[in-house]
Amino acid sequence: MNFTNVFDILNLGIVILDAEYRIRYWNEWMVIHSGIAAEEMLDRNLFDAYPALDTPVIRRSFKSVFTFGNFFFFSQKLHGYLFPIKALGSFQGQFEHMQQSCTLCPLREGDGIKVTHICITVQDVTEVAAYEKTLLEMNYRDSLTGAYNRRYFTSRLKEEFERHRRYKRSMSMLMIDIDHFKSVNDTHGHQCGDFILKSVSATIQSALRRVDILARYGGEEFCCILPETTFEPSMMIAERIRGLVESETYIYEGQAVRVTVSIGVPRAPVSGDTPESFLKNADDALYEAKKIGRNTVISFP
Amino acid sequence: MTAVPSSEILGTEERDILQEIMNIGFGAAAADLAGVIDLYVQLSVPTVTVLPAPELPDYIRREVPDAREISIIEQNFWSKFKGIALLAFTAGAGRALLGMMGDLDEQSFESDPMRILEKETLMEVGNILVGACVGKVAELLGDVVTYSPPRVLIGDLSDTNVSKRIFDPGNYVIILQTIFHFGQQDVRGYLFLIASHESIGWLKHALRSFMSQYE
Repeated sequence: MNFTNVFDILNLGIVILDAEYRIRYWNEWMVIHSGIAAEEMLDRNLFDAYPALDTPVIRRSFKSVFTFGNFFFFSQKLHGYLFPIKALGSFQGQFEHMQQSCTLCPLREGDGIKVTHICITVQDVTEVAAYEKTLLEMNYRDSLTGAYNRRYFTSRLKEEFERHRRYKRSMSMLMIDIDHFKSVNDTHGHQCGDFILKSVSATIQSALRRVDILARYGGEEFCCILPETTFEPSMMIAERIRGLVESETYIYEGQAVRVTVSIGVPRAPVSGDTPESFLKNADDALYEAKKIGRNTVISFP
Repeated sequence: MTAVPSSEILGTEERDILQEIMNIGFGAAAADLAGVIDLYVQLSVPTVTVLPAPELPDYIRREVPDAREISIIEQNFWSKFKGIALLAFTAGAGRALLGMMGDLDEQSFESDPMRILEKETLMEVGNILVGACVGKVAELLGDVVTYSPPRVLIGDLSDTNVSKRIFDPGNYVIILQTIFHFGQQDVRGYLFLIASHESIGWLKHALRSFMSQYE
């Protein structure tokens, strides 16, 4: 019996390359998941078929397996995937591509020493990656509002500040507090208070870009890092958020609830500033905004 | 602990042959590494040490300066030549290597709290260095080796009680050791190839076979 058909019943992708990176084998798993027939792939150069794989890291890894006969491991954590295969239906919301754990293995011929081919094994680990992603999200998101939590915010603030300091990149911050939030709780109940927190968070998020980092900093306090943004535009964004919240009518169980926000905006950090002093400037600005009557945007110093 | 003296585990002549094989093997590895990772790699003269397994963590701590803040790449290898490879880098090596290998751009700076890129580089370079050195020594001894995926451990070496996890405390280990220097910068990697007790019998036989081709 010819056992090579075992390769075609495995729940594992197998691709074999020769020393010129030509594909010499493309198993049934690869056919099914990539949607590309083996005949189309055979004898094609891997890097012509998948130009995105032509990176220094991947080139080095192949070269190393051919030269040293070591195994090379592409973990999902670090690389996501090697072959751009669409994620299966239920995971499409989380991942565009199937998450893979891949290994390059040396294949030897003749004297048993010289590596003549490389076998790439492709394992679908999307399900595990999805669980892991959910767990991670739970770890850095505020469960009520979906904004980031304070711990994540603090670590990102340090990073963004370091980037600003080292590469002279601009950065801005907004500290936002819902005015008279206690009276919302007292008048309409805590469930309505939670609803307002969620809704205001969504309103703020709608005024931000994908790269901005919105976090729930405390009870009714939100903080937002605006990377690559100078002070003046950050004041405009703050004013837009203030206006949006003021004009919004939130409906909770048939009752209309209106709230406003006060926003503190620190001026661009100067030499000697630290993430802590920058945050304190935002806090002082917010304090000032509260003091002069709320529903306003104030900068400091 | 076993009462057998270490000189009986590996005799003087056997040590000399192993030393010679490491000189050839690691030398060839260094030459080939330049072609694979585009980095000039210099290796110190390799050494062979025979130790009772429980003494291994202390030995490694003594050999690596500032062992409190290091990254270790750990990888098992198995065949007739079987054991564990530990490659210790001092703090900041991941970042320095990233810069040297030209993979560092501004966008990737500290974008992830786990410093994924540094870890990835250490893992990649570690995998290649271990593969090169183990592979060349095994090749000279007529063996072909398989590897486990590398793992990166960051932190204090004293937490890594390798011998307890991997080796029977009653046994000896043979340590093949060298230091890597990368490029012009002062980045060093301390490589320990720790052959398990099980492979000592095979190793002695392979060393004799290696010498017989010159006799």
